[in-house]
Amino acid sequence: MRARLKWFSLAAIALVFAGLYVRALETPPAARFVAPRAAAPAASPKPLVRPQLLPNSSTLSVHSATAVELSGGRLRAFWYGGTREGASDVAIYTSVYSPTGETWEPERALVSREFAQRHLQRSLRKLGNPVAGRDGAGRIWLFFVSVSVGGWAGSAINAMVSTDEGETWSPPRRLISSPFLNISTLVRGPLVQLSDGTLALPVYHEFLGKFGELLRVDAEGRVIGKTRLSWGKSSLQPVIVPRSETDAVAFMRYAGDPPARILMIRTRDAGAHWSEPVKTALPNPNAAVASVLLADGPLLLAFNNAEEDRESLSLALSSDFGNSWRVARNLEGESLLPRAPVNEYSYPWMMQDRAGNVHVLYTWGRARIKHVVFNRAWLEGGG
Amino acid sequence: MLANTLFGLLGCGLLCVALAATALRFHVFPARVRTALMAAVLVAVLIPIGDLSIAGTVRGATGDLSATTLALAVSAVFARLSGRTMFERREMNALLWLVACAALFLYPFALGWTAFDPYALGYGSAAFVTALLLATLAAWRMGLKLVVLVVLAGGLAYLGGLYESRNLWDYLIDPLAAAYALAVLLWAGGGKLVSQRRQRAPVV
Repeated sequence: MRARLKWFSLAAIALVFAGLYVRALETPPAARFVAPRAAAPAASPKPLVRPQLLPNSSTLSVHSATAVELSGGRLRAFWYGGTREGASDVAIYTSVYSPTGETWEPERALVSREFAQRHLQRSLRKLGNPVAGRDGAGRIWLFFVSVSVGGWAGSAINAMVSTDEGETWSPPRRLISSPFLNISTLVRGPLVQLSDGTLALPVYHEFLGKFGELLRVDAEGRVIGKTRLSWGKSSLQPVIVPRSETDAVAFMRYAGDPPARILMIRTRDAGAHWSEPVKTALPNPNAAVASVLLADGPLLLAFNNAEEDRESLSLALSSDFGNSWRVARNLEGESLLPRAPVNEYSYPWMMQDRAGNVHVLYTWGRARIKHVVFNRAWLEGGG
Repeated sequence: MLANTLFGLLGCGLLCVALAATALRFHVFPARVRTALMAAVLVAVLIPIGDLSIAGTVRGATGDLSATTLALAVSAVFARLSGRTMFERREMNALLWLVACAALFLYPFALGWTAFDPYALGYGSAAFVTALLLATLAAWRMGLKLVVLVVLAGGLAYLGGLYESRNLWDYLIDPLAAAYALAVLLWAGGGKLVSQRRQRAPVV
């Protein structure tokens, strides 16, 4: 009897491991970045800049805006808001911008803590950063941070998907990205489409270490692979900007010793390997940055132009894909501009629409989300 | 409700039963009462209070439980129900040693200690599967049935996609099993050290 059981268990080992080998061989091979779309039509030669505050008045505190372009040049933005950052009443809000009227719709709460808790079937204390983007099939994905225990170091990521431009959404599902109780993974940077239909989602960790990773997410919203972007205790919130199917640059917030500078890494094999982080010439007061490759070549970066505070927000251009920079415009921090009651302008999100205009959304004084749309003529005219 | 949500909640429910049975000393009651108490605890932790059950609250903190933790929980429940141990001490020790070694390999690197990330191997690495196969065959050869059982259960659950994770590591170990293994082994090692010192001490 015992001998029979022993041989039976050996057969079970053979069967299970055959399955594990098949699964390992079925793992999708490395995919390439989806190259940036063809150049947008020439934008108006007349300088255009339109700043406005979103009508997000239902919450005292807001932060961390993100957006996707809809049909007809509209934008759908998301952000989190509540009585304060980390409060249990924080929810993810959404609103739509119409370029014809140049107005934002009234906001609506899309994901509350209770809603997420009910669908995820696990306790949640608070919600955090959302990140929106499209996959190759045109669906809109919304990733957002939630915390069950502790502070932001206890974060995990959840995902929802919409097939009707953000009107209705799937229930949220949990992404598993860390073996340590699945804590300490957050999102902030835009997702990148890959050639096989999967998504590359830049994330970062804040528990013990501070470092960036690139998650590979399949069409069902499951993590099927990951690559480390950095390691240690000083780099977070990666923002990845591909310029071809294989080449990309990424910028990261810096949380280490002075001098405080924006970090930069590069890949030449579609994200399979990344260079060591190097400090750029641009300052970073331990704050998020945003970047986009403009349709006709230069790289644009939105950043807090100081080492100590978030009281200024500037735009810098690079014509050599990140090696050198010149500050083109200041969105906040100049003496003539109206100041927010709380003098902080942070967490920029930036994108170029199909018409060639650039949109920046950012936290304005922790109380409002500000939207600035501008064209190349305005950007280049800043001296 | 998704199958992996249900499975995750049942796993956390089982952990709650094991903890309650151990902490509340169920073994002092007659067998039928013990069984009834455990069934009652399982039902109580799985029934939603508002939107969420107690198992859901536990799941918020622990995530889905690995095959190792579930095996340890089943073993604890069996011991409290029957008054007998389910696995030989030698088999349990072997599992705890393996879990402790795997945890020391996995967690420091996965938490960003270096550029190397062993957790990424769990998404489908033939090298990782081969290392696991060799360890499992060694355990089979040595008659360590519990280790073999845990690997097979974890492997089957992974192939069946029972958890939210697509990473094989999550099916095999988790921090609860790692903490338990390290605590038991350190406690046992400390106890041995103390008794050795006592034996060496001169008789006065």
